[in-house]
Amino acid sequence: MIGILKSMATTMKHALDGQTFTVEYPDVAPEVSPRFRGVHKFSQERCIWCRQCENVCPNDTIQIVQDDKRNGEQYNLHIGQCIYCRLCEEVCPVDAILLTQNFEFTADTKNEFVYNKEQLKNVPWYKGIDPLNSRNPDRDAWVGEGDGEVDYQ
Amino acid sequence: MTPLQQGPILLPERIANLIGLGDGLLGQVVGGLIAAFLIANIMLAMTAVAGPWAKRKITAAFTDRIAVNRIGPFGLFIIIADAVRLLSKELIVPEGVDRPAWDLAPIILPASALLGFAVIPMGSGIQLADPETGLVFAFAVASIASLSLVMGGYASNNKYSLMGGLRAVAQNIAYEIPLIVTAASVVIFTGTLQMSEIVAVQREALISITPALTIPQWFAFVNPFAFVLFLVANMAEVGRNPFDIPEAPTEIVAGYQTEYSSVYFVLFYLGEFLHIFLGGALIATLFLGGPAAPIAALEVIPGFVWFLIKIWAVFLLTQWARSAIPRVRIDQLLDIGWKGMLVLSFANLVLTAIIVGVIV
Amino acid sequence: MSLERPKDRDSAGVQRHSADEIADLLGDLVIGREEHINAPGYVIPPDAVQETLSLLKNEAGFDHLSCVTAEERADRYESIYHLKKFDDATQEVSVVVPTAKDNPVSQSAEPVFRTADWHEREAYDLVGIDYEGHPDLRRILLPDTWQGHPLSMDYDQERPQVVSLREGANPLQEDHRDDQDSETMYLNIGPHHPATHGVLHLKATLDGEQVADVDPDIGYLHRCEEQMCQNGTYRYQIMPYPDRWDYISAGLLNEWAYARAAEDLADIEVPEYAQVIRTMGAELCRIAAHMLAVATFALDVYGDFTAIFMYGIREREKVQNILEDLTGQRLMFNYFRLGGVVWDLPEPRDEFFDKTRDFLEELPEALEEFHDLITGNEILQARTIGTGVLPPEVAKSYGATGPVLRGSGVDYDLRRDDPYGYYENLDWDVCVEDGCDNFSRLLVRMNEVEESAKIIEQCVDILEDWPEDERNIQANVPRTLRPDDDTEIYRAVEGAKGELGIYIRADGTEKPARFKIRSPCFSNLQTLPEMSNGEYVPDMVASLGSLDIVLGEVDR
Repeated sequence: MIGILKSMATTMKHALDGQTFTVEYPDVAPEVSPRFRGVHKFSQERCIWCRQCENVCPNDTIQIVQDDKRNGEQYNLHIGQCIYCRLCEEVCPVDAILLTQNFEFTADTKNEFVYNKEQLKNVPWYKGIDPLNSRNPDRDAWVGEGDGEVDYQ
Repeated sequence: MTPLQQGPILLPERIANLIGLGDGLLGQVVGGLIAAFLIANIMLAMTAVAGPWAKRKITAAFTDRIAVNRIGPFGLFIIIADAVRLLSKELIVPEGVDRPAWDLAPIILPASALLGFAVIPMGSGIQLADPETGLVFAFAVASIASLSLVMGGYASNNKYSLMGGLRAVAQNIAYEIPLIVTAASVVIFTGTLQMSEIVAVQREALISITPALTIPQWFAFVNPFAFVLFLVANMAEVGRNPFDIPEAPTEIVAGYQTEYSSVYFVLFYLGEFLHIFLGGALIATLFLGGPAAPIAALEVIPGFVWFLIKIWAVFLLTQWARSAIPRVRIDQLLDIGWKGMLVLSFANLVLTAIIVGVIV
Repeated sequence: MSLERPKDRDSAGVQRHSADEIADLLGDLVIGREEHINAPGYVIPPDAVQETLSLLKNEAGFDHLSCVTAEERADRYESIYHLKKFDDATQEVSVVVPTAKDNPVSQSAEPVFRTADWHEREAYDLVGIDYEGHPDLRRILLPDTWQGHPLSMDYDQERPQVVSLREGANPLQEDHRDDQDSETMYLNIGPHHPATHGVLHLKATLDGEQVADVDPDIGYLHRCEEQMCQNGTYRYQIMPYPDRWDYISAGLLNEWAYARAAEDLADIEVPEYAQVIRTMGAELCRIAAHMLAVATFALDVYGDFTAIFMYGIREREKVQNILEDLTGQRLMFNYFRLGGVVWDLPEPRDEFFDKTRDFLEELPEALEEFHDLITGNEILQARTIGTGVLPPEVAKSYGATGPVLRGSGVDYDLRRDDPYGYYENLDWDVCVEDGCDNFSRLLVRMNEVEESAKIIEQCVDILEDWPEDERNIQANVPRTLRPDDDTEIYRAVEGAKGELGIYIRADGTEKPARFKIRSPCFSNLQTLPEMSNGEYVPDMVASLGSLDIVLGEVDR
């Protein structure tokens, strides 16, 4: 009986202290970590069309079309199929593809989630966070340091 | 309905007098109908507030959340939104249901609870009828609810529903006896089954310091043990935690109401809330002095308001229990009912009888 | 390249057998020897499985059949029984049972180890090996109507497997209503039921309110994660997938399972600094996973989305915020890399340490509240003590691990018994309760949260004092890994639900030839009939909740 009363006292304490844990999304935009991985942003100016992102992608989300002179023509990315593992950003030698903090996207059909390079370029920054800046210290560690020669193949 | 000589003037008579029909047969019928309509609507309105809004808000408070706050002030318009949503849903009639039992069950449940309110004195002269056997009438109609649960459970052609229905019967039988036996101990005190009399007896002073600061002779103060027994038995009777065995969402999906959707679901839902309120009304009448104020100084607030406060307090208690007490198992429930509550309630009855016989 | 741990390390005085001693014990049964990276392998004929395994179990003390791997090789089918000891998890033996390609029949190990029941069913289902003497050899993950065995070599990926409802097995087909003599009722609990924690289907036979028999039907969430991993490269492409096995915030623990197996396979040394970060991250995940386990268990017993569930989720949310800062994601972390982790702690580091410490400071109070709400509550005690009883011997035979096994009083935790990461250097205890019931399992989880908090606290202290120029988060690992041909390894870590093991066979390419996941939930769920037969339906639901299964990991 004491245990039951203790339980009831505990919940009543919570009811009366007035604290809530709810985030009133979408009225309040949630804070996300600068490392958060959301919809991609692609920069054609930077891209050297090395196709490493396409190769590393675990589930064939990125599709690159090149002409016969290996100039890039299309860069398509299915943001609905993507598992947001950030491997494309990790292997990209020129930071041409980045994952922003945007986590909201809607569409009527899943085909609309296939973003071409223009759409990918127009993805906005979330709250003005440029992930490249916030992740930069770590990128250096990842690319540059370590024992011995870095193996780039 | 036998016309009553003593006691306060009842609501039907007042209405009949108000619209000038006098106390003839026509006046009684029309006044009765209007009064019943009014009371039913007050109760339904309370349920409407309780179901979609208050319950959510209360649960949210217990669980550190905010709950509905987007539509209207404090999210109150969710009541309308929910009503539209629920009523506009498709009524799915599963294959092989036993009609018309399946259709009748959701009507019987709220009806049985509404009937019970007929004899409850709600203060400020609001009482539909005051028969000499009012208490028995209230228990009798409230018990019809189990019939509805069994009907719904059996007619749904669903094993979960069937189990829910069977559980409901087992539970109601086990807890109705302690409930009524405990109520009987109050009757021993008052010597009457008439609701208005039970309330009147409780108006006498238990402790009187000054005329304004008089603690009345509520039976919750006179016999707290019976009060607790009645509270617990009532919790089981209306099927709330820790005794929500007939529904038991994690075990038998939703029990007897698994197959009900749309309007029928709303009716079941209404019925359940009405039963909680009826339980609250009975507790208020039997143990908390009905519509009376706790101390004489507070009698400026009308009796009806006090009555509502007491009902809502009981509702709040059910929600509080829901947030903190685990559900007992069906066999434990029956153990508690038959081996615990029944014995205790009879002990309480015998003791009360002895005390009343010796002292009074 | 040998990563075999020195054989002289003897834990708790358990007798250690050398590879030759075991060969002598098995005598003529051995027709060949193999060397797996984790253990010696003994090749035995397919009709001597039971004899070999009982010898190993009874004479040499290998009482834990951790995993059964089946695979098709170029010239044969192979079943590999990975055996361990509950008393000393570092002692391992692999029993390799080759069978002919044209007639893949092998003796079943089910009479020796009950856990082989489901493992062999899975092997039959996915690879197509026939186990002779198995009590109930039918498909387990795929539907009964499936054509072919997906992991066999001649499987036609293109062939449509669409089966109309009429052709499939219909659980409602048999009409029991006219069966007047029947005393029991058949009830489908799930696949859509509030208490099955996902899409689990329990075929229950009820006698009144009591469970006469229950047969879990799994596979609704089967994605063939094993094959997905076989199609990915070691270096990058496999790592995102472990997050998706036990997707309830145990991601880093799962990633560690793959990382440990692959690192040992490719002989990669992980920097100590990275190990500390891994240990901290993994324990954060464990808190998150256990919080959810406690919350949903309370949900199953209490019956509504009530306070305890919400409080549990709230604590978990705080952990997830920390994990988001660390890894960038809340559930699908993809934070580990072979040879380390992808990111150092987030800058500014002090802020991260403060946030973690704040959480750890508030945690005891929150746990105290949980004890007030749950374990101290008499009704909950009445509901859980003495129900869902799983005796230690039964639990061992079923290969149950993790909190389920520790709730049955068996002191077995891979973090201590088969040390990896930084656990060895930290001060913490293994939580064991010997009640064997639902309440003990609940207690084990709640105590483990405390122990995890202890570990995290120590890790935070260590990380804070780590010299700035020695913060090496990743070893130098080539971009393409090609482990040697025909090397095999089975490695396990202590996941949130128990022993999460990975078997990898390399074939010299950059992708694994066989990738097998030993899911703890898979083995734990197998104990459900033992726990719930004869109990009431509510107790079965509570037992299921106390097993804390995640269907994503059961079905993979």
